[in-house]
Amino acid sequence: MSSGPPVPPRSRGVIALLEENCTVCMLCARECPDWCIVIESHTEDLPPLGPRGRPRSRNVLDRFDIDFSLCMYCGICVEVCPFDALFWSPEHSYAGDGPTALVHEREQLRDWMASVPPPPAEDPAGAPPD
Amino acid sequence: MEEAHGAPTLTGVTPTTAPATAQAGLRPTRHLVDAGRRFSLWVFDVGLACCAVEFLAATAGAASAPHGDVARLGAVPTAADAADADVLLVSGTVTAKLAPAVRALYDRLPGDKHVIAFGACASSGGPYWDSYCVIPGVGTLLPVDVWVPGCPPRPEALLDALRSLEQR
Amino acid sequence: MTPEGVAGRLAALLGAGTVVSGTATVDVERTRWVDAVTTVRDDAELDARFFDVLLGVDLLDEGFEVVVRLWSLTGRHAVHLRTRCPRDDARVPSLAAVFAGAAWHERETAEMLGVAFEGHPGLTPLLLPTGFVERPLRKEFVLARREEKAWPGAVEPGESTPNPRRQPLGAPGRRR
Repeated sequence: MSSGPPVPPRSRGVIALLEENCTVCMLCARECPDWCIVIESHTEDLPPLGPRGRPRSRNVLDRFDIDFSLCMYCGICVEVCPFDALFWSPEHSYAGDGPTALVHEREQLRDWMASVPPPPAEDPAGAPPD
Repeated sequence: MEEAHGAPTLTGVTPTTAPATAQAGLRPTRHLVDAGRRFSLWVFDVGLACCAVEFLAATAGAASAPHGDVARLGAVPTAADAADADVLLVSGTVTAKLAPAVRALYDRLPGDKHVIAFGACASSGGPYWDSYCVIPGVGTLLPVDVWVPGCPPRPEALLDALRSLEQR
Repeated sequence: MTPEGVAGRLAALLGAGTVVSGTATVDVERTRWVDAVTTVRDDAELDARFFDVLLGVDLLDEGFEVVVRLWSLTGRHAVHLRTRCPRDDARVPSLAAVFAGAAWHERETAEMLGVAFEGHPGLTPLLLPTGFVERPLRKEFVLARREEKAWPGAVEPGESTPNPRRQPLGAPGRRR
């Protein structure tokens, strides 16, 4: 982890993935301007919920890599995710010692979730919701 | 605390100016602010783009920061000439036209030298990875020791990268 | 002067002048290119003596278009002069004698689009590295690295192999 004085909690250090929220809609991979995010998945069938239910299926992630050597920290992936599966974390000390060391895979992206700060409180002077 | 050469510690940081006590002909005494951090590797910055401005802000600019960034973050000795440096830090996009110059600077570093790719452009070409005239990461030109992600990386990330290099 | 006023003056000087996207513009035959630019530069009423930019446009079947933008510091209006050359005969007279600063713009246009500027004092490459022979700003130029790297967004949800019918279109990052 990083040493030194704490950085602001909203600073864009690294991107964390909460896999439970991800439905593999592929929007982050498609919107990334640098083509950093590589996703592979498969479909699994689930039993119907009740005796008169219909068969269900869900997408299961096999691979979710973010190449931070390409990432320009624009945040388009975090913004576009409809299911809030991607989060910013202020962690910044993950310099790599090899050319592929900056490709973070599913497990490492989940580990970053531990450093994701809670969302900022609502601004009392902000505009009310519609 | 005492500085490496036994000269009294200064509270400011002037990594490239010689104090009055330095003898003529010797390299300037290294002034290091010891706040639990001390860097002994001299860094030569190949400043090519925005990351170069961030490198300056993190190292030289910090010396004049009113809130004492230097005491917080530590001092990075920067070399004025590549021949005096231990580390070549490539900050910014390396274009195909400038690649021979970067290689020439690397060749000027003496002996045991290291390379840091600072920022996304130096690590992989960054946002310009698909350009027809951009080298996709300085790692295709030189042997890189540390890749620092960021666009641009924070000063803290720079110092942590230098520290990890020193520990090797 | 208003763009319409400038266009009217261009019509009086050169026989034609319209307002295109808010700027007075005149299309000129390439045989009259140097004379037309000189006339606009020397006209006291327009006073468009500041050379702003010279650039080329790849119009595919219609050839290449070279556009010059002149600015008037006193009248605070712009003048666009445009000329065309066919794709298989990409030559345009050089404006280096009219505006010294045009020399570098013409060098860039020449190396990026492959348009030859006749009478240019030295049409050496400006930005591209030595040995780069292709013309990057031509429409048919292909970015090799985008062809080599598979677009991660081509993979459909629930699959691991790319769907060839999904392609990023147009400019990098745009799919529409």
